[in-house]
Amino acid sequence: MNTVYKLALIALAIGAVLISVQPAAAHHSGAGFNSGTVVELKGTIKEFQFKNPHTWIQVMVPDATGKMTEWSLEWGSPNSLGRQGYRPTTFPPGAKVTVRLNPMRNGSPAGGFIAAKFEDGKVIGRWDDKISPSAGYNPEK
Amino acid sequence: MNRNMAVTFSGFSLVLLLLTGASYGQGRGQQAPSYTPTVTAWDKLPDWSGVWQMVGPTVFDTATQTGKGGSVDIGVREHPPFNAEWEAAYQKSLAKRDKALLPDTITNCGVPAGFPRMFNLPDPYEFVIRPEEFWLLTENGPNVMRVYTDGRKHLEDQWETYTGDSIGHWEGDTLVFTTVALKGNRDGDVQLDRTGIALSDKSTVTTRMRKVDNNTMEVVLTIEDAKALTKPWVVTKHFRKLPVGTRIYDYGCAENNRNPVDEKTGKTLVLDPKGKPLNID
Repeated sequence: MNTVYKLALIALAIGAVLISVQPAAAHHSGAGFNSGTVVELKGTIKEFQFKNPHTWIQVMVPDATGKMTEWSLEWGSPNSLGRQGYRPTTFPPGAKVTVRLNPMRNGSPAGGFIAAKFEDGKVIGRWDDKISPSAGYNPEK
Repeated sequence: MNRNMAVTFSGFSLVLLLLTGASYGQGRGQQAPSYTPTVTAWDKLPDWSGVWQMVGPTVFDTATQTGKGGSVDIGVREHPPFNAEWEAAYQKSLAKRDKALLPDTITNCGVPAGFPRMFNLPDPYEFVIRPEEFWLLTENGPNVMRVYTDGRKHLEDQWETYTGDSIGHWEGDTLVFTTVALKGNRDGDVQLDRTGIALSDKSTVTTRMRKVDNNTMEVVLTIEDAKALTKPWVVTKHFRKLPVGTRIYDYGCAENNRNPVDEKTGKTLVLDPKGKPLNID
């Protein structure tokens, strides 16, 4: 495999990843979410709403006292995600996940989905050190 | 019922059926064609099969764009040749957009995108050629637009609609069509993108579509608007062909729309799973 071909494949792979983590903007403005902040939460999948115009991942997240809060994470359209291989079963109810999201500006329990990691290490979305709370990712500063 | 009565009744029924049938056959008052339809032979038509996607963001005219980013980003604007009145309205829309208070007309899932916004949508497209017409199909919406290439003319008394009335012809492998009778933003429910660009009910568009290579469709729109523009506005859009086998799905926009627009403020809401707004402060 020559170098040019390898570079083209890498560019295609990066492009595919970027497309898969596009904010949910196809149907409406994503201005309600703070794209400059990344929040990481641990919880349990309650429901994956694989419906138009956008999919929503419902996650039950406990606080330090054990009180549960339902978070709503907005993702792409089921059509677009379906073409990328995702399915209604991608987030099975009961699965333990760590999720990353751009939170709502007013602090409500919702946000734009970035990535998720399951207990077995399986990752969905873009999970890397450049887009993580620990990296202090905040392009608005 | 005796035999004579039965024959009379049957005859009456037959006449009634024939009359009603004739009435349906004529389309209940539908006008007879005022032209002789002509078609282009299949083998004279180009191959535009497959599934396509717009290249670039949903900023309508990237050639005149100021600022980096997408159509909802502060500082991004375009420069249609608006007259003073429509430029002032555009500036107001941009100011609202900067505060995330400019509602997108299609966010409520109730109206079509309209034309020419139909060439500025995310998600896949199909360009369907038939000998007598062309269909522009978009997954997003979904939207359908028909362009007649069978020799008919625009109606002189055509009323304004979201996609107007489109008449076209083939110049080799280029489809050329003119769209008139567009309602534009007369009723406040059609815009070209989320920077808030709008046109009037006097807008017309001449479109030239052609494949520049096997994977690229070029669409050149020449927009004229006696109410809103000082000169014709030429916008070029490109579409790339998606891999063979790509599927298009139905787009039930109202199926689970958790982002309706708040009518009071224009803000796009985020609803929790029970329908309660999370971002009304």
